[in-house]
Amino acid sequence: MLKLDEYTKIIEKCSHCSYCQATCPSFLNEMSENMVAKNRLLLIKESLMHGTVPLSKRAGEILDACLLCTNCTQTCSSKVPIDDIIIAARIKMQEKSSGSIKQKVMGRMLTQRGLTGALGKAGAMAQKLGIATKEIPALASKSFDKMYSGTISPKGEVKKRIAYFVGCGTNFIFPDTGEAVVKVLNHNGIEVIIPSGQVCCGIPTIAEGDLATTQAMLETNIKLFADLDVDAIITDCTSCGMMFKEKAAKCFPDDHPLQEKITAFNANFFEITEYLQKEGLDIKPNSLDVKWSYHVPCHRAWSPTVKDAPRELLAQIPAAELREFEHPEQCCGGAGTFFMEHRETSESIRASRLEEINNVESDAVLTQCPVCRFYLGFQVKDREVTHPIQILARAYNL
Amino acid sequence: MKALAKDLERVLSPKQVLVAREDLLPYANDATHYFKSRLPDAVVLPHTTEDVAKIMKYAFQNEIPVTPRGAGSGLSGGCTPVKGGIVMDTKRMNKIMEVDSENMTAKVEGGVVLQNFQNTLERQKLFYPPDPQSATVCTIGANVATRAGGPRGVKYGTTGNYVLGTEVVLPDGSIINSGGNFVKQSVGYNLTHLMLGSEGTLGVITGVNLRLLPLPQANKTVIVVCESLDQAAEIVAAIIAQGAIPAMLEFLIKLAITVMNNFFSPPLPTDGEAYLFMLFDGTESQVEAEAAVVNQICHDMGAMEVRIIEDPKAANNYWTARANMYPLIQTIFERATTEDVTVPRNKIPDFVRAVQSIAAAEGLMIGLAGHAGDGNMHPSVLFPEVNPEAEAKAKIAIDQVTRAGLDLGGTISGEHGIGIHKAEYLEWELGKTQIELMKRIKYAFDPKNIMNPGKIWLEEGEVDA
Repeated sequence: MLKLDEYTKIIEKCSHCSYCQATCPSFLNEMSENMVAKNRLLLIKESLMHGTVPLSKRAGEILDACLLCTNCTQTCSSKVPIDDIIIAARIKMQEKSSGSIKQKVMGRMLTQRGLTGALGKAGAMAQKLGIATKEIPALASKSFDKMYSGTISPKGEVKKRIAYFVGCGTNFIFPDTGEAVVKVLNHNGIEVIIPSGQVCCGIPTIAEGDLATTQAMLETNIKLFADLDVDAIITDCTSCGMMFKEKAAKCFPDDHPLQEKITAFNANFFEITEYLQKEGLDIKPNSLDVKWSYHVPCHRAWSPTVKDAPRELLAQIPAAELREFEHPEQCCGGAGTFFMEHRETSESIRASRLEEINNVESDAVLTQCPVCRFYLGFQVKDREVTHPIQILARAYNL
Repeated sequence: MKALAKDLERVLSPKQVLVAREDLLPYANDATHYFKSRLPDAVVLPHTTEDVAKIMKYAFQNEIPVTPRGAGSGLSGGCTPVKGGIVMDTKRMNKIMEVDSENMTAKVEGGVVLQNFQNTLERQKLFYPPDPQSATVCTIGANVATRAGGPRGVKYGTTGNYVLGTEVVLPDGSIINSGGNFVKQSVGYNLTHLMLGSEGTLGVITGVNLRLLPLPQANKTVIVVCESLDQAAEIVAAIIAQGAIPAMLEFLIKLAITVMNNFFSPPLPTDGEAYLFMLFDGTESQVEAEAAVVNQICHDMGAMEVRIIEDPKAANNYWTARANMYPLIQTIFERATTEDVTVPRNKIPDFVRAVQSIAAAEGLMIGLAGHAGDGNMHPSVLFPEVNPEAEAKAKIAIDQVTRAGLDLGGTISGEHGIGIHKAEYLEWELGKTQIELMKRIKYAFDPKNIMNPGKIWLEEGEVDA
């Protein structure tokens, strides 16, 4: 479980080899060792784990400046679960304070879907924090759950039945992704079940250290899905994927009754492109003349196939051409709600990402993360930034 | 310390100075954090050579120790600020100034990360061979300061073989440029190469001119499982006698393979006593021919298994695992210390046996891997549990391992440098006269002893901790 005292042994495995400096966006932005996993672990150890030094304001800032992108964890050969330790530290810090206004707004906003004004509230809050209005994702005029719910059957024979977990990004900002998911699945003879009552996956709240809200949301979602008689559960969002697959079980004690359901949920849980790639497309896509580049989301380590799936899936579209970035896996700086409170840092991280994007000529930047999509999209104006499934839908003329 | 912070912020800018304890913590040591640590009083983050010069002038006037630092990934304690003072973090000086494909030379700032440089070169079909296994983070200036090497030493040599010039800020803040973008120079003392292995004790390396090679067209990875140490040594000797010099030739024992095995598909058998990882590079036909020769030799000599890896991705897995061996070992043991004793290549079996008998006598586990091609071994004391008794035994074992290497005609450090951890062995290898001479050279550069004081040799009464 994400309790700091469960990590006292593994945290000692950090050998200070400094290899985390190769991939940490916070470090690469500052180029100083105070802003890297190695130091965050040192601060957590002394202040929150052993309590030898009280947690100072500065230590809090350094811990807060972590984007939870998980790149350090993916890089660490000593296999220190750095992101889990940082989450556990934030949970512990939360317990000590009463939580910020942002957390309270977010908690309320995310535990209930259908709060249509929710993102508006976030917008107002962001403005208070000094973020330009153009850098707040616009709400879709009609959220996805107002367009699709229940069981959506394909025209002909039902070959498979899957349940669709719809993340907040798709529901509120990019319902076009959800529409493409449903249409592509139906087109391939797959029935889609969208249970109503779904809420946020919990990644934004656990990132803030708000365990109680996260647990409540997980309980709602897991109970909705775990007992469905379906062939698989899918998501279109890599961060929702990570939340269920890697973090959900860690949010509850080992003997919690929900654990069994979490295991059941995860047994056949996939990101949409990896699901389709694994199952194979029943219907061959038509030719589509599109040169696309792939911005691999940071939250990719929860599945071994999630980062190559779009490459392999879209390779089946005749005439579609992948133009790789020099560093396909470099962070965009958005990181959930991080960009709202760390504007300067996020913009600076994004600037180096944009430089690389501008070095590659393509018609589209594809990514399975809605935050990458809007955060890059604010600045990428010469081509579309979208989800790979939408390119496949287009190739099917759906 | 407030006064120091104010001064440094005035000399540079507030965003280039760290003084809060929370920001200084990671600068207290390098990857040998379990040994001696000390917080610096401040860290400065220069952007230019002029920034470095300004700080050095200030430190010289005020007689404040300055410890230059690259990635902090070192294995000798070389960038640990043992006397406090200022840490000069060079990582923001990361511009590749020039890549000259016509003359096959390059000029980089000291803080350029090795891997970034190599990637840039590769796109232009150029090659800079030195490959310390921390390439993803380590910096070229610090590679020069430590004479960093790596697996490619056997065929291509180490950093020292590629350095054509350096830009150095001396302790008083003056800037010198020695050497340049030419491969030959016969003009007085070779101050460029004096910087090799200087470990920050003579000045701050802010720029480096490097010699480049054309990128080899092709390469091939060969993995050999050997039933005994001697068999491995004989195979290595036979391969090299045939004129097939591998670009990399790594020796590993079973223990190393067990921690790496989930990188490989299928996993390597774990009943071998020694394992060889080899990479041959050159033209397509040359690589094919060499791999065939090696395959034949290994079969003739009765190797347990030979794998010629055709798929570049699969080959890469072997080398990635090798590069990550040190942190991988930490996943099983509470601590692992790494030495880098180097012996003549044909003495490797003798050295391995010596290490094994030392380990047996002290009741310790000592892992062994190394660059078999150049005799650079990495005995690693593995602690299932860290306690004073184990630490004391490890100290005895490391003393003996070092002595064994010297007795076989070797050296106490092949590529990590002396720093603080090997200072006590320096005299064993160099003798008093050489050390005294080095001290006089140090004095000529640094009369106030402010450049990385406390490193390479022990002062009267000092002991390593």
